[in-house]
Amino acid sequence: MILGFDSNQFVALTINGLANGAILAITALGFVLIYKATEVINFAQGQFLVVGAFMVYNANHTWGLPWPLAVLVGIGTGIVLGLAIERVILRRMIGESTLSVIMVTIGLASALGGVSLGVWGAAGGVGPKFIPSGTVHLFGDVSVAANRFWAIGVAAVMLIGVGLFFRYSRHGVAMRAVADDQQAAMVQGISVNKIFAMAWALAGAAGAIAGVLLASVAGSYDLGMEAFAIFVFPVVILGGLDSVLGTVVGGIIVGLLVEYSKFYLTVSWSVILPFAALVAILLVKPYGLFGQVRIERV
Amino acid sequence: MNRFIRRLALPLCFTLIAGAGVACGKDKKSDNASKTNSSGAAAKEDIKVGAIFDLSGPTADIGTPYADGIKDYVEYRNSTGGVDGHKLALSWQDFKYDPTVAGQLYGQYVSEGAKVFMGWGTADTEALRPRVTTDKVPFMSASNAETLTDPTVTPYNFFPGASYSQQMRIILQYIADHNKGKVAVAFFHHDSPFGTSPLEDGKKYIADKKLSIDFSDYAMAKGATDYVAQIGQAKAKNSKYIIIQNVPSPAAVLATNLASAKSTAQIVCLNYCANEIYVKKAGAAAEKTIGVVPFAPPVAGLAGLDEINNFLKSKNTDAAAKGQGYVQGWYTMAVMSEGIKNALAAGGTLDGPAIKAGLEKIKDFKTGVSDPISFSSTFHAGLLSAPLYQVDTGQWKKIQDPITVQK
Amino acid sequence: MATATGVYNTTYRKDFALRHTRAEYIRLGLLAAVAVWIPYNLNAYWLSYANLILLAAIAAVGLNILTGYTGLVSLATAGFLGVGAYTAGNLSVFYHWPMPMAVAGATLMAAAIGAVFGLPALRLKGLYLAISTFAAQEILSDRFRDWKWLTRKHGTIVTSYPKLGSHVFKSNFEWYWILLVITGLVVFAGINLFRTGLGRAFIAIRDQDIAAEVMGVPVGRYKVLAFSIACGLAGFSGALQAYYPPAQTVTWENYEIAKSFIFVAMIIVGGLGSISGAVYGAMFLTWVPAYITRIGQSLQTSNFSFLIEKLPAVQLTLFGLVLVVFLLFEPRGLARLWQRAKDYFRLWPFRY
Repeated sequence: MILGFDSNQFVALTINGLANGAILAITALGFVLIYKATEVINFAQGQFLVVGAFMVYNANHTWGLPWPLAVLVGIGTGIVLGLAIERVILRRMIGESTLSVIMVTIGLASALGGVSLGVWGAAGGVGPKFIPSGTVHLFGDVSVAANRFWAIGVAAVMLIGVGLFFRYSRHGVAMRAVADDQQAAMVQGISVNKIFAMAWALAGAAGAIAGVLLASVAGSYDLGMEAFAIFVFPVVILGGLDSVLGTVVGGIIVGLLVEYSKFYLTVSWSVILPFAALVAILLVKPYGLFGQVRIERV
Repeated sequence: MNRFIRRLALPLCFTLIAGAGVACGKDKKSDNASKTNSSGAAAKEDIKVGAIFDLSGPTADIGTPYADGIKDYVEYRNSTGGVDGHKLALSWQDFKYDPTVAGQLYGQYVSEGAKVFMGWGTADTEALRPRVTTDKVPFMSASNAETLTDPTVTPYNFFPGASYSQQMRIILQYIADHNKGKVAVAFFHHDSPFGTSPLEDGKKYIADKKLSIDFSDYAMAKGATDYVAQIGQAKAKNSKYIIIQNVPSPAAVLATNLASAKSTAQIVCLNYCANEIYVKKAGAAAEKTIGVVPFAPPVAGLAGLDEINNFLKSKNTDAAAKGQGYVQGWYTMAVMSEGIKNALAAGGTLDGPAIKAGLEKIKDFKTGVSDPISFSSTFHAGLLSAPLYQVDTGQWKKIQDPITVQK
Repeated sequence: MATATGVYNTTYRKDFALRHTRAEYIRLGLLAAVAVWIPYNLNAYWLSYANLILLAAIAAVGLNILTGYTGLVSLATAGFLGVGAYTAGNLSVFYHWPMPMAVAGATLMAAAIGAVFGLPALRLKGLYLAISTFAAQEILSDRFRDWKWLTRKHGTIVTSYPKLGSHVFKSNFEWYWILLVITGLVVFAGINLFRTGLGRAFIAIRDQDIAAEVMGVPVGRYKVLAFSIACGLAGFSGALQAYYPPAQTVTWENYEIAKSFIFVAMIIVGGLGSISGAVYGAMFLTWVPAYITRIGQSLQTSNFSFLIEKLPAVQLTLFGLVLVVFLLFEPRGLARLWQRAKDYFRLWPFRY
């Protein structure tokens, strides 16, 4: 310890902050995918976390499936849910004002919340522990829960995967094209409807994965997980609403900021600081760190 | 398709509005019907009880078993002849922990003739406090804030347990008695008035009794996924005890975080996390946790639970399976019914002041899971004592008979 | 603006009139009659909902001025209700200000703080701005919970009934009249705002802020002003709620983000850019949950034991679905639905 600075504590905080940041980034990814393609902010993203995670719980705990299958069931449910919402509800809202569409997603969040409450009950449950939750000792005297490393690992793999998907795959390039200019994309023969559906499906899958990770890190499956998605707003905005790289940087900044401020300042600072940072960064860079700058013409 | 839907929209709206009108009309009719029924029949008049539960809000995890306890007690009491021949007519509604909704429902039930009101948490209890006082409606809730115990300030608020502050004093006294020399205690609490309720009283108790306790407090922010930073701070102070005032889910997260950080501190749960939900969620991390429990967890074999178990037998379950919240709800309603019984025995009209007097007459009301409950005209908390339980291989086991401390 | 045929606005005076046709005067008369009928015919329960609607309408009108007319979204309405409530509560309980002064003070305080949190509007637009107001909401609700001095360590503030001389206003009936007058004035002011230069400048900013700037509208100053008006009205509503008898308690749980969403829902369901729409929206979103609750209560005495067990879940789902289905049918809200209903009857039996 030098000058009251505890380096072990600092390392532990950093790893926890990164793990939280990783889960934040995956959750944020769901927002960004949908926003990029359809310019809608999906307030039901938190419910995607809950539904996905609880489906994994169901598959593993109630139906007795092995965990890799259970996770696949969760992701599959997320995809189906995303597709269904897009096809049944949001496709009808195309062309309506953004605010009305956002309101629809808020209504959806309430409806999905009610369904989850009815199906799984308020008490939640202790789910499959397939992610090792033991303690890892690092150099010095740092002890951190192993699932933190898993969260970081899964997030890294996933975000790199999504990055590669956008860069090299046909569908990824098509999605970027639609995000850039819908009309031009249509002229190129890209089905915009399909791209919208794909965005929602991917967001559902990302929600399920984030949900499972969150449940493992927190230790139990809980309907309250939905609230976590609300704290993702600073992340998406910091990084830029339409940037995948932005979610990573935003996630890391917010995750670390919260963790450090909790320890070095007070808990109440840790609630305010991400939002204060958000406003400060927006004042300097109005479209976030990596968001696309729009040039407006009259 | 879209146009078709739009064409449907208008008629649909009109039907909805018309339906609403019919429904409202129906309500009135059924009200009248019930009135004529009760006055016409020879049976004694029903006693209306209003209740709000949190079944879908942030505290629904413990709110649901508590609500079941109240509902089941009413069913049990009515099946065994009611209160002195009067049936209890319970009207309840989920209020999602929203104080405005609580206010609306309270207004409705009281205007429909509810004689007593069963609340739930700190938010609704605080929001309804002034109205309960002006309306003279005896009010019981699961919010055990010490500010509600003084009848000169809140004459109609009661709770059967020991206040949060009293729970805090009990555990502080226990810690001081079981340790030599200065001992560091960290208090982790929900970041709200519910969480901080016992904070000042605890500090005052340490100062008044000159306990050699080094006391520090840490807020647990809502929506947090870990408490590693706060644990680090508590560790830096060498805290030997960690007292938690929070609901089960965050408390379980804290316990697992403590386990991962290889903490050796003794965890202590005040009432609201000392239950089976916490043990289930925290798993191995909950081992050795001490609970300060005015209403003990209904572990198997505890004497005095026959009443509940006999009732639950028909439903193929028992008190141990229903859990601590259920039993607390059950006995809260039982104590309220006892107050009503006393009021009826005293004769006169059954109104708020009569029931209040009836409640204040309760002396040594026996429950299966706590010391006998008593109220007086100067003190409206049912208990001053609480036993200590400890988690042993996933079960709460008693380690200390009820401790009573004076302020 | 299209009205009935045969109405030629030959003077500016007529063109600016709020009401053009006899039907509109009749409607106003009917509305007034209903407003007078309500307190004598509704029971205490529904009357208290009428009061809640009036209270909510004040803030919803403010929000619609900001969002519907100026094009700036705010997710911080609940936070400013809180600013109003805590300020009024402090002024009246700890400093013993009489109610009107405390409410005025609270309104000014909310307007001032609103202007501060509106400053990002100088640089931000659209969803980025919406989320910066979300930040304001989170910061405010965290402060309500955390600043012990706001309640002098009591956790809540309990106000006393407002008095005039020796008369104490405490019944729903009296409050209905007070709130009716106040909300009526707010609505009247709101409608008239858009007959002034300031109001038209707001609309110009909504439609195209760069073009508005070119035309000489001081865009930055007016955006902050719009925030200030909306937040001031929210604070006004919050301050009144702090005194309103069924509540009378200022507690932080009332000013959380979920409530802000409800206000946004109000103006969208009511109709963006319509003052009367804000009132319809307040009715819809106060009344629908109350009605769903009512259905739930009547189910309790029925035999659907499954439904009773799952009642909260069913209610939550139902509320969400009502919102979704309504917006699918009419994304532009009740004001638009009203317009369509009028057209339908005006042209009947023809389609157009």
